[in-house]
Amino acid sequence: MTSDEALMLEFQGGSRAAFEELFARYRKPLYGFFGRRLNNPERAEDLTQETFLAVIRAASRYEPRASVRTYLYGIALKLLAAERRKFLTSSTFGQSASEPKTDGTPECVLWVRQAMEKLDTQEREILMLREYEQLSYSEISGLLRIPVNTVRSRLFRSRLALKSYLESEAKTNPSLRPSAGPPHSGGRGVQ
Amino acid sequence: MSTNRHLIEQEELMAYLDGELPMDRATETLSHLDLCPECRALAADFRGISQELMAWAVEPPEVGISSEINAALDERLQKRETAKVSSPRLENRVMTNRWVWAGALAIVCVAVGLKLTLTSRNRNADRSPAYPSMASIEQYLMPDRNAEIAMARSAAPDSISHDAAVMVLGRQGYETAIEGKNGFVCVVERSWTSPFNSAQFWNPKVRTPACFNPAAARSILPLTIKRTEMVLAGWSKAQMIDSIKAGFDDKELAAPEPGAMCYMMSRAGYLNDAVGHFVPHLMFYFPPTDKSSWGADLPDSPVTLNPQFQGGPEPITEFVVPVGKWSDGTVAPVM
Repeated sequence: MTSDEALMLEFQGGSRAAFEELFARYRKPLYGFFGRRLNNPERAEDLTQETFLAVIRAASRYEPRASVRTYLYGIALKLLAAERRKFLTSSTFGQSASEPKTDGTPECVLWVRQAMEKLDTQEREILMLREYEQLSYSEISGLLRIPVNTVRSRLFRSRLALKSYLESEAKTNPSLRPSAGPPHSGGRGVQ
Repeated sequence: MSTNRHLIEQEELMAYLDGELPMDRATETLSHLDLCPECRALAADFRGISQELMAWAVEPPEVGISSEINAALDERLQKRETAKVSSPRLENRVMTNRWVWAGALAIVCVAVGLKLTLTSRNRNADRSPAYPSMASIEQYLMPDRNAEIAMARSAAPDSISHDAAVMVLGRQGYETAIEGKNGFVCVVERSWTSPFNSAQFWNPKVRTPACFNPAAARSILPLTIKRTEMVLAGWSKAQMIDSIKAGFDDKELAAPEPGAMCYMMSRAGYLNDAVGHFVPHLMFYFPPTDKSSWGADLPDSPVTLNPQFQGGPEPITEFVVPVGKWSDGTVAPVM
């Protein structure tokens, strides 16, 4: 399988097929990135397409020092920040940019969203970049411009907070919890 | 949980589950987990949280590349074509002026010479680590036998490795540490299972947990054991290659049995300096086989031909298929 970086270089060299392959690989992850952060499918799709537009416009400036994955999420984070700024300045209805649309959403997803909402903003971002975008600590550190140790400690805090939330919810409202079972369902441990 | 009672801190345990600990610390963590129910419970909690978060799946609508992107693509590619067409003219103009050309060449020569002078002192520091010869045996051994057992077992999900035999590396070669019940054998391979011409062949950091199914335990594992015995006996690469060839000629070594495969799903391994932990994967072994029969290395194919035996003395073809989860069930990074 051709690496993302090789595809990007091929695209720089004028290959449309290389771009289409990158689009096929990253459209879904990028849509997920925006979809989870904005809870607005239309804007998620728009911003996904805008990310690729930015790639096309800046293709000549890409250097293979950074992985394509980090490069794309770097663009996505900038677009997201701009979107949030735009929303804050234009909103007159007091509605949060990330207010979830709950119609038809399964309970287990609602639970995850509620749990996420309770986290500190940057801790939530770090957790999402790790869990959903599967970025390494050093990639997150590079994208958010914070030390790797800070990434690790904030990730730790956010996971402990989720664990605590999960346990309290299990006690007070067992029906809301998703089907994954109690926190200790992992079996014999790491082997 | 105090750090006095535990060899690892909670935060390190989390980093271990994320595949973010250096190999030596990951090995210690793995070993500690085997002995500490409290840490196992916390690890299970962390894994449970990750699993619950995965419930939030976001599916994009079925649309392709937008017309706006297509237009931008057309524009960019057209610009490139235009630049290509126009650049030869510029080149011709420059080429016609030999004084310009000679002057430019002189400037390049001076610049290159200066650059070489300035960087020569740092050249060794910039070079990738090389392993020209075998390091001391201590560097390849794992001092903690339980840690090696735990690492070997981490090659496959517990449902497989729990009843597998486990072999560990000693000074004389691999020895059986635990008898198995299901025909599988788990080991931690060292660098010398790399191709003989690999720069990593003597890399003492390499630890490759592998769990062979019964067919591979009979036909592939003996190759690892033989290579190890020869290495520990101090044989040269040429001697090892000759011996392996002779082994196959004399039927001392067998072709891969049908169905031979191996699990390599450990997050604690270190495969080489280029890929580190790599991604969890399965390996399938055959007598020499055209890679096209598996669609290996074709665009979008998840199957790749592993170079481990390519051009080597073993008449074996090995295919690699990445999988989405580590042996402990956690989601692995995308390759």
